[in-house]
This record gives sequence, C-alpha cells and structure tokens, in this order.
Amino acid sequence: MHAIDVRELRKSYPKKIPLPFRKVEWIEAVKGISFRVRKGELFGLLGPNGAGKTTTIKILTTLLEPSGGSAEVLGYDIRKDAREIRKRINLVAEGERTLYWRLSAYENLKYFARIYYVPKNEEKERIEQLLRLVGLWERRNDLVMNYSRGMKQRLAIAKALINDPEVLFLDEPTLGLDVQSAVFVREFIRKLVDEQKKTVLLTTHYMAEAEELCDRIAIIDHGKIIALDTPSGLKRLVKGEDAVQIRVRDLSFQGIKSLPWKLVIVKEDAERGTVTLRGHVSEEDLPKVVESLVKTGAKILSVEQKEPTLEDVFIKLTGRALRD
Amino acid sequence: MPLGAVIEKELRMFFRYPLRVFSAVLVGIVFLLQFVFFGQAVLGGRYSQLLASSTGIGDYPTYALIGYVLWWLSVSPMEAYVWGIRRELQRGTFETSVAAPIRITELLLGLALSWLLMDSVLMMVVFVFGVLIFHISLSLPVVLKSLPVLLLSFLSFLGFGLIFAGLVMMFKNIGPFAQIFEFSMLFFSGVFFPLNVMPRGVVLFSQIFPLTHSVTAIRAIFTGKTYAEVLPSISWLLILVLFYWITGYALFRWAEKTTRVMGYGGY
Repeated sequence: MHAIDVRELRKSYPKKIPLPFRKVEWIEAVKGISFRVRKGELFGLLGPNGAGKTTTIKILTTLLEPSGGSAEVLGYDIRKDAREIRKRINLVAEGERTLYWRLSAYENLKYFARIYYVPKNEEKERIEQLLRLVGLWERRNDLVMNYSRGMKQRLAIAKALINDPEVLFLDEPTLGLDVQSAVFVREFIRKLVDEQKKTVLLTTHYMAEAEELCDRIAIIDHGKIIALDTPSGLKRLVKGEDAVQIRVRDLSFQGIKSLPWKLVIVKEDAERGTVTLRGHVSEEDLPKVVESLVKTGAKILSVEQKEPTLEDVFIKLTGRALRD
Repeated sequence: MPLGAVIEKELRMFFRYPLRVFSAVLVGIVFLLQFVFFGQAVLGGRYSQLLASSTGIGDYPTYALIGYVLWWLSVSPMEAYVWGIRRELQRGTFETSVAAPIRITELLLGLALSWLLMDSVLMMVVFVFGVLIFHISLSLPVVLKSLPVLLLSFLSFLGFGLIFAGLVMMFKNIGPFAQIFEFSMLFFSGVFFPLNVMPRGVVLFSQIFPLTHSVTAIRAIFTGKTYAEVLPSISWLLILVLFYWITGYALFRWAEKTTRVMGYGGY
C-alpha cells in the first residue's frame, strides 16, 4: 500500500458561488494528475505559482472536494473517509498566519492537541518534546505575535507534528523565510523522513529546495504533471546539454524573442538593472548568442557555463523559467 | 475535550486584553443608558400605564433592562458565527482548525458557546449596573426562576445563529446582512416598546424570532408569574428551538458542501 495514491485527480473552481439555478463558469486548476508516494518517502511537487500545487494538497488533506478522479491517503478514500485521514495526517499550510498570534506557543499547541484528539495523559509531554525539538521551549509562553517569521514557521511545524502524523503535507514550507530559518526547516524536514520515517509531501517553487530535499519530484505546470522522477533522473532529461547563464544589462525583451536560441529570464535585478538569462546553447553557438545579444543593445556582464539543474529541466519541458 | 479547547482558546484571546473587555462593558452600559433615558423622556417618567397593562411591567427601566440584556445575548451566537468565523478566515486560522479531525459543527458550536459565555459575563455586569443605577427591585428567587427559561432561550438563539454559520463560510462577508437581522430583532421583539402598539401583521411576524418569546416569558416571571402562566411563550421557544436547529443544520450542511467545492480559505 502506498501512503498516497492519486489517480486522474481533477479540480475545477467556480468563478462565482455555485448556487442552485445559477449558471457558473468553472476554472480547471488540476487537470487529471496521477502519482503515488511510498511510505517514508519525501515527495515534492515543484512548479510555479498557480500550477495547482496548493489545490492538490488541499484535496489530499480533505479540505477541498475534487471534481474528478480519486485519491487515497494511507488507504483511505479522500471523499468518504475524511475524518480517518485527518486523524493520521497533518498540514503546514502556506503563509505565516496559520496559528493564533494572540496565544502563546504553548497555548497554540495545547489547542491543536485537543482538536487532534491527542490523549490527555500524553499532551504535556508531547508539547514539551515538540517545542524543544523546534527550539522554542524557552519562548513557550511568549505570544506568537512577538515571534519572528522563522519562529512562527518552526511553531507551525511543531503544530503539524502534534498528532504524530504518518503523513505530513507541507505547502511551501520555506516561503518568505530568511536563509538561516530556511536551512533549519529543510534540515528538520529531512530528519523527519530519515529518523522518524514520516512520509512527507511538500510543495515548493524553489528548485534548489526540491533538489536538495526530495527523494522524488513531480514537476507540475498548468495543473498537469509534466515530469516525475528522482532529482538525478529529472536532470538526465537535460544531460549532455550545456546550460549557459548570461548576465546582461539594458536587455531588449523584444530582442531576445527574435533570437533562434531558447533563452529565458531566470532573474531580474531591478535595482542594478540587470537580467540573468539561461538556456541550452552549444559551445559553437555561444559566440553567436553573445553577438546577437550585443546587437539588440544589451551589455554583457558575464557568461557562465553551468551544471544542468531542475531549472533547465523546467525550461526544456515548458520553454519558460519557473519564476514565470 | 475539543469543544472545551475551542471555548478555552476564545476566552483566553478575549480576556487577554483588559482594555477590550473594559470597552465591551462600557459599550454595553452606554447603549443601555441611552435606551432607558430615551424611553423615559418619551414616556415622561419611568412608569407607564400602557406598559403595565400590556406587559405586566410598568417600570420602564426594568422593562428595558430585561429586553436589552436578552437582545444582546440573542445576537451573540449570530455574531460569533458572522464575525468570529470571518475573523478566523481573515487570520487564516480557520482552515488550520478545519483540517483537524474535530467535527466542524463542534468547532463552530464551541465558537458560539464561547461568545455566548463572554456576552453572558458582560451582560451580567451590565444587568447589575442597571439594577443598581435604576434602583430596580430584584429578588434571588425570581432570578433563579428565570434561569431555565434563559437556558431554553440560549438554545433557541444558538439554533437561530446556526443559519448564519453556513452562510458566512460560503459568502465570507455577511456582516451587513446579519446586522439587518440583529436590528430587526431589536425592533420586532418588543425589546424597548410593547408589541401590541404595532400593526397586527408585525406582531405575527415577530413570532418567528426566539427573542420575542424569551423576553415575554422572562418579563412575566419577573412580575411573579408561574411557569404555567408563561407556557405559551415556553411552547413557542420549544418549537423554535427545534425549527431553527433543524433548518440551521440543514442549511449549514448544504453550505459546507458548497464551501468544500470553493475552498474554506481565501479572503
């Protein structure tokens, strides 16, 4: 049995509240995705904003009703067995406002322990253990509103472990965190899988995070899974192709569209007026690319050959950078 | 117990800020004073023969105090759903709680009960203040005798409020819509003036509000009437408890189903 088994899952959102006798238009957010997550696996859904990652997580955590297809979590049907699933899973939702800021860390965990039916005799010990684990025990009585973004996220993770879930869903767990906090969260997630044998499904649009953390990754775009493999397996899709990164100033956006090579913008630095382009260009073509860019009025700041990354896989599969 | 956890959480957040508690009590008192003094000014004194003949209570401050406190409590569950859920939706905490195995009905009931509890404490202070400031004669047996009717009223208020619980999940911002009902109840339930001065149609319409019967029964008990004498109002309350709980629950289930198609979050 797989921890998560998703078959042809679909989800459409109504543009207006679907009241009886009201004709409503629907927007398809998830378009028939299928994947399986093994027990003890760290599985990533990687994709740009609006790709359908959060919708998928919400369906699997029984917060949303799917429009079609089916899914099982720990062998339970998401439509019929919502309560059974909720007892065995937990979720770190996207954003920092998922906890009660006017309660302390301890009070938050106490509240969630009760609504997750944690046995009363285990409650105190569990809360202390979790707060120590995320390094917040000394600040347990402080109101969450006085915590930093990183501390709030650590508490959100502690909350997600309150019922000792078998499967953990993490929606963009490092979004908006400073580098130090993001590193802590990533290491913590990896430990949960390696040491506590938890199954984790996380969504991210950070390629490095997906590459560093996940055992397998499904790349999702416009509601469809366009590739699914291990990070190294995915990178094999661009094996032998040279990834080139060019940093330029005064780039003409129209100019790069007319070039015969597929170059996409992966970074824009508005303050410095620079743009970083990335694409697959052979060694022979590289001088021609540079020359063409210069002709469009761009000033070349640097040209680097890079090891292929998941970004290159995404570019190859979609023709766009993940940031789009 | 999950229900207890929801109540404890709400109470903690409310009483954590003494200024908020103080302001709530102050608002309660100021509105009471306004209504009582306005009523007395219109009547030309605190005693009214019209009130006495139609409701049994001729003393306007007593009449208004009972009506006002019950009105405040009657809208409490509605406010809990409308503003409480809305606040959770805005905070982003609603989805986090809904994702837990606690039943959503239990979650919402906890919210309504906690608000009712907070408003009861608040109104107790306002009531005592009103009794002292207007020299209202009151005896403990009368207060104790009115408690079962008050509990029955709470049940009906909770059922009435449930109608709004589903609507707020679906439509998110129904505050202005709910306010129409809140003030309709103030107007149609005989809180500040007797209903028999209103047209017959309005009197009939007022029967659908639990507050109308709650106010009538408790005022009657305050004048020394027995439970048997207030049986018509109690019977109405029992019917409305059933009606609003069944209607409210059915509407809530439908709204919840629709919300699961659209998503709980998103403000």
